[in-house]
Amino acid sequence: MTTIAFPTPIGRSHAAARTNRDPALVRWLLIALALVFLIGFLFLPLAVIFTQALSKGWAAYAAALTEPNAISAMRLTVLAAAVAVPLNLVFGIAAAWVIAKFEFPGKSLLITLIDLPFSVSPVVSGLIYVLLFGLQGWLGPWLHEHDIRLIFAVPGIVLATIFVTFPFVARELIPLMQAQGKEEEEAAIVLGASGWQTFWRVTLPNVKWGLLYGVILCNARAMGEFGAVSVVSGHIRGMTNTVPLHVEILYNEYNSTAAFAVASVLTLLALVTLAAKSILEWRIKLQTEKRP
Amino acid sequence: MLKRHSVLPGFSITLGFTLTYLSLIVLIPLSATFLKSATLGWDGFWAVVTAPRVLASYKLTFGAALTGATINAVFGLLVAWILVRYDFFGKKLVDALVDLPFALPTAVAGIALATIYSSKGWIGLFFAPLGIKIAHTPLGIVVALTFIGLPFVVRTVQPVLEAFDTELEEAAASLGANRSQTFRKVILPTLLPAILTGFALAFARAVGEYGSVIFIAGNIPMVSEITPLLIVTKLEQYDYAGATALAVSMLVVSFGLLLAINGLQRWTEMRRA
Amino acid sequence: MSIEIKNVEKSFGRFKALKNISLDIAGGELVALLGPSGCGKTTLLRIIAGLEAPDAGSILFHGEDATHRHVRDRQVGFVFQHYALFRHMTVFENVAFGLRVRPRRKRPPESVVRQKVHDLLNLVQLDWLAERYPDQLSGGQRQRIALARALAVEPQVLLLDEPFGALDAKVRKDLRRWLRRLHDELHVTSVFVTHDQEEALEVADRVVVLNEGRIEQIGAPHEVYDHPATPFVYQFLGDVNLFHGRVHDGHARIGETEVELAGGPDHPGSAVFYVRPHEIEILRDRGTGTIAAKISDIRPLGATVRIELERTDGRGLVEVELTRDRFANKGFLHGESVYLQPKRLRTFDHNSTLENTIGSGQFIAS
Repeated sequence: MTTIAFPTPIGRSHAAARTNRDPALVRWLLIALALVFLIGFLFLPLAVIFTQALSKGWAAYAAALTEPNAISAMRLTVLAAAVAVPLNLVFGIAAAWVIAKFEFPGKSLLITLIDLPFSVSPVVSGLIYVLLFGLQGWLGPWLHEHDIRLIFAVPGIVLATIFVTFPFVARELIPLMQAQGKEEEEAAIVLGASGWQTFWRVTLPNVKWGLLYGVILCNARAMGEFGAVSVVSGHIRGMTNTVPLHVEILYNEYNSTAAFAVASVLTLLALVTLAAKSILEWRIKLQTEKRP
Repeated sequence: MLKRHSVLPGFSITLGFTLTYLSLIVLIPLSATFLKSATLGWDGFWAVVTAPRVLASYKLTFGAALTGATINAVFGLLVAWILVRYDFFGKKLVDALVDLPFALPTAVAGIALATIYSSKGWIGLFFAPLGIKIAHTPLGIVVALTFIGLPFVVRTVQPVLEAFDTELEEAAASLGANRSQTFRKVILPTLLPAILTGFALAFARAVGEYGSVIFIAGNIPMVSEITPLLIVTKLEQYDYAGATALAVSMLVVSFGLLLAINGLQRWTEMRRA
Repeated sequence: MSIEIKNVEKSFGRFKALKNISLDIAGGELVALLGPSGCGKTTLLRIIAGLEAPDAGSILFHGEDATHRHVRDRQVGFVFQHYALFRHMTVFENVAFGLRVRPRRKRPPESVVRQKVHDLLNLVQLDWLAERYPDQLSGGQRQRIALARALAVEPQVLLLDEPFGALDAKVRKDLRRWLRRLHDELHVTSVFVTHDQEEALEVADRVVVLNEGRIEQIGAPHEVYDHPATPFVYQFLGDVNLFHGRVHDGHARIGETEVELAGGPDHPGSAVFYVRPHEIEILRDRGTGTIAAKISDIRPLGATVRIELERTDGRGLVEVELTRDRFANKGFLHGESVYLQPKRLRTFDHNSTLENTIGSGQFIAS
């Protein structure tokens, strides 16, 4: 084994060597074709959001964002994410710990079940809670008697948000922690560390970028979810409208400028998410590739 | 619970919490849905899921999802190819933006696509004189489903292409194969499992998609009404039984796709190993 | 501290990793667990550490039952095969870890921690690397840091899993001499696992040879090498030539040749004779008890020359090792017909069904 004095640069350094393999004409044709596709499906949709949002000037833009219904929608969206993300974070850590560090029967089934919410249509994700807690649902009558309202109310929105963002943290952490094995944790225990000390001082620092990555993706989806939340919300303005639902209402009322203004906030959030994601992917690559 | 002895603590508590949380949030609500549909009886269930309007929505949903996934298989491979193999200005930015459909809320994507593909929009403008309407037709649905499925093929093919040993290509070339033979006989077979996995992921996502579609679809029954929208419509008409039956039919399809995708991913990994 | 292992058994699913293992290790001893991969040596080491629990049997530390004592309370130092250094901590923090995670009342003050870590880093001669991260170190450096980290908690027992397994041949040799010297200095009871017989013979006070979950032999390096108890030990500890033959009336019959035996099994029957390559003489004249052969290959290997011969009776190949000098004196040529004279023939008694019995038939040809 040779001494690695400094971290080796990560990247596709060898890709440059391949660059000139295809004739220039083929190369530029393929790049042009791909870019035309991406312009039509990515760049123009992105650009139109901001041009439409500002089509009536900054004053109208600011007005659309500071209007009371918009503010209350933002508040609800932040609330839903503030509940869903920490819960799914704790779940993700627990699930990744038990799956990566222990052997038990049914493990691969458990991994599949954790991914389940990703394969369920957003509309169905909302519907299952309506069927459980709605007035026609299994627990609806009981809840009604006790005057507890979950569906067409804030708790339903939070529940639907938890469901659709359920796997995000877990699916980032599970492969990462599996790849890292359990030798470091065993070493910590042999050295006298308690379970908590091992977790906080050894496990967590080793997965912190992956964890953050999962949290950021989880948060983006929590704040942007539309279908599932739409089904359970009841669309009560100023009460049970999240930001994406507010966009829908404005758009359907032909108030397109305001719709795009509010949408632009969500778009900025998406762009920040992508930037953070790119940086984190690079850090995670460093963390998993450099095994001591 | 069977468990190998381990000095690491927390097995029971983390497994207990994982199973409880999974059951409360996912398993119990999903099973409740299946139970609810059972109250319809088989005949009632069958009548709902095979009604003409429902069948039309299946045809549209699966047809558009299949078309979108196919477009993505082709262009996703192309995008992955130029990102891995070529250098060009703005490559890093393009690479990062490929994930936009994952990060952008579907409702925002929906209104943006509806705007540029309408007959007065930036792109729709060029098609209107040809008599082609995109927004508010089934074509618009294909556009939306292509958008939301875009990252899947790119992101499954990209790592395989990066790991691809260029020695194989050089070997093929040294044996006298020309560029297109090398691509068809050496590169494409290696990438195939990844392309199929990406295709299946894009298709699965497209089948259930709702937010980005409803703004651009037109939502005319029998013509441009997708199945998830039909579920919402039934719900709004307080037809819970009907909505449940449709939801169950979609869940069955989703689970089938999930199994297929798991199989494909295993195949991809075997090929990479 | 002494360690007693009593009747330990361990299975993983259907696989029996350890079958009734008993072993005593004296305080201050350096013991090697030697065997091929899958023989159970690492499992035994992890059971001593408390990283695995035995299905049956017990572990005694200093005469006290420690079978159910948690690894945290066993006062063992463990060096993992891939070192398991904490990759997000500097070398200094890695070594200090065991001191810093102690309960508050037992935790030494910061100045003591610093002093102790630097002493340990000096001991392993790597004080200048204190601020580096594990991925900036070479394999040999990581290995020594892992050792310093294990020693920081002042273990009563030091356990090392394939300590040189992941290193280059050259670094490996240096490090094992260094480990031996370190042990002579510290005198802490140590057990290490290896699959390399040279390593075990060179470093350890005593070698425990394991095969398929059983102990084949326990003894000092020269004992297990010179007096292997079983065919397995004989073959595992070095190259070997096998001659199939029969024993009758105090003679061994190998092919067409009769070799007179000085002693050995009286009961006649077929036998397998084991001879090491350096225990065979090559003669130009047919003496007594020789086997005719033809030189098929000559290969100088550093200090010795390895000669491969084909038996004239067509019963296979024989390897002989000569010193350089001897080879130069004799001047053997490729293709030459010669006679082989085994200086020692060793056979093991197969009539006994007990696998761990010591072979009774060590005897020397006249």
